[in-house]
Amino acid sequence: MRLNSLAFRLLATLAAWTLVVLPIAGIIIFSIYTDDLQRNYDDRLKRLADGVRLDSMDGIDEPLAPVNRFEPLFEQTHSGWYWQVKPLDEPGKRKLVSASLATASLDSPLERKFPADVTGTRWMNVKGPVGEPVRIVELIDTLQHEPGPKYSITVAGPIEDLNERIGEFGRRLSIALALAGLGLLATTLFQVRFGLLPLRQIERGLAAIRSGEKARLDGQLPAEIEPLQSELNALIHSNQDIVDRARTQVGNLAHALKTPLAVITNEARDDKSAFAKKVAEQAQIMRDQVSHYLDRARMAARVGAIGRVTPILPLVEPLTRALERIHRDKGVRIKVDCPADARFQGEKHDLEEMLGNLLDNASKWSKRGVFLSVSVPVPAKGYPKQAVILVEDDGPVCRPSSVPRSARGGCDLTRVSRALGSGSRS
Amino acid sequence: MRILVVEDDRDLNRQLVQAISDAGYAVDSASDGEEGYFLGETEPYDMIVLDLGLPKMDGLSILEQWRRANRNMPVIILTARDRWSDKVAGMDAGADDYLAKPFHMEELLARIRAQVRRASGHAKSEIECGPVRLDTKSARVTCDGQQIKLTSHEYRLLAYLMHHRGRVVSRTELVEHLYEQDFDRDSNTIEVFIGRLRKKIPADVIETVRGLGYRLAEGTNET
Repeated sequence: MRLNSLAFRLLATLAAWTLVVLPIAGIIIFSIYTDDLQRNYDDRLKRLADGVRLDSMDGIDEPLAPVNRFEPLFEQTHSGWYWQVKPLDEPGKRKLVSASLATASLDSPLERKFPADVTGTRWMNVKGPVGEPVRIVELIDTLQHEPGPKYSITVAGPIEDLNERIGEFGRRLSIALALAGLGLLATTLFQVRFGLLPLRQIERGLAAIRSGEKARLDGQLPAEIEPLQSELNALIHSNQDIVDRARTQVGNLAHALKTPLAVITNEARDDKSAFAKKVAEQAQIMRDQVSHYLDRARMAARVGAIGRVTPILPLVEPLTRALERIHRDKGVRIKVDCPADARFQGEKHDLEEMLGNLLDNASKWSKRGVFLSVSVPVPAKGYPKQAVILVEDDGPVCRPSSVPRSARGGCDLTRVSRALGSGSRS
Repeated sequence: MRILVVEDDRDLNRQLVQAISDAGYAVDSASDGEEGYFLGETEPYDMIVLDLGLPKMDGLSILEQWRRANRNMPVIILTARDRWSDKVAGMDAGADDYLAKPFHMEELLARIRAQVRRASGHAKSEIECGPVRLDTKSARVTCDGQQIKLTSHEYRLLAYLMHHRGRVVSRTELVEHLYEQDFDRDSNTIEVFIGRLRKKIPADVIETVRGLGYRLAEGTNET
């Protein structure tokens, strides 16, 4: 994939978008999840603390030891689950603790200056009795809820599990998002390839037109690409129209000039004066110049002509028929060996002119037989297919001295009157 | 031999008529397609020289209509359009030959001679009938090797009979093929010219078939 390609642009855009959006989405999802998990855990701690408070604050003179009906792990030493009821106003007074706390005690968020929330509850994360991370919730209440000495009711729960669950969720979330990102990139790559297939089809079609295999862009294309296909076909058609118009104008020019030239030439030929001789000579020069520049104009019209493909065999048949008729006095027979699918990348008229001139020349100089063979050899790798057209006759060979005349600039080799053995490849 | 020239360029038409007449043919001319078509359709020409780019009716259409109407006289197309597609179209329409402008008049005359010869079944340019020999290239007639001086009309008459030797040619046919359209056709003139010819070549070469016409004896060879 090239850097300056639509596929790369689409992929790069999506990759950048994925790199930005997926982490942000991950952070949001992670945050929502951890918040939710934290809230559930805090709700549980709060419910346990409420239970401890209700049981212990029922005492009349002093707090009652709460019946452990909330959490079995309160009974297991250093389980991570603890509760504690501690008088705030009378430091020497006995405090109540869960069995799990043994001889240790819990820090009070109030004493550590943690602020209370709107419900008067304080929260704090600290190290537990054995150094394990715990989360502590603290409520402040009085016995029987009557005015009197205040008690701190604290409940602690381990947060190692919580952190592990959050960490595990984070890992899974990262993997899921990474896979989603890769999947997204893979899908986009497929979409790009699949989506750009019509452009590839157009590319192949244009290559086929350039190589002469097709004359226009064919095939069903998606609605978005169809206008491009139509415009390209219109462009090719317009190019062909321009060439056709140029040809017509060239033909008209030929018609307009050749008749007066014929009159001048014939008139001058009947007159034997020096003036008539000069006129005839100049008329001949004009005739040559007209032919020369008409040929050049035809060649110029050919330049840039695209999308013209001419099947060879259907063109050869009427041409040989006409030539056999023209040269019927000699009984010339033209034998043709041409594959049915051989095609010429170019104008029908150009091939017709080339073959017509070569075959006519061969017929003029042949005794009776002319042989036209068209072959399409398998090309070397990387080279386009070429049709090799060979015209042979059974007449005399040409003199090498005839060759330099044909090498003149702008000279159409196929029009040289004597057979030169010069061939044309198309 | 009677030839029709259909060419819209006035000067070229005049040159063609002059050159073909000088070569010993009776020539009619038309300067547009409709007139050319009508003449070719109604008159018994031995050859037609037809331009393609004609006013009122183009040459190819004229030719196609003649062929559809079984008018099988040889036709040489004369046109400025010298491309092979034009030539093929012309030959497919029924032309016998094709000559591109500008052309040498001698080439056209040679092709006319070739077409006339071919139409009457002669392969060579010289036709022999007994001691009489006609060279169509040079328009010369010899008898036992001696050149015979003939007037234009005598030459036309002898050439027509030699081209159709062995066949009885009626006076009407001779009149139709030896004179231009606007010529005052009196069949007696044919007898006068036959009489003159019989004085210049051996009298038995031209045989009179009573009530039918004239015949040149066959059994001679072309050279």
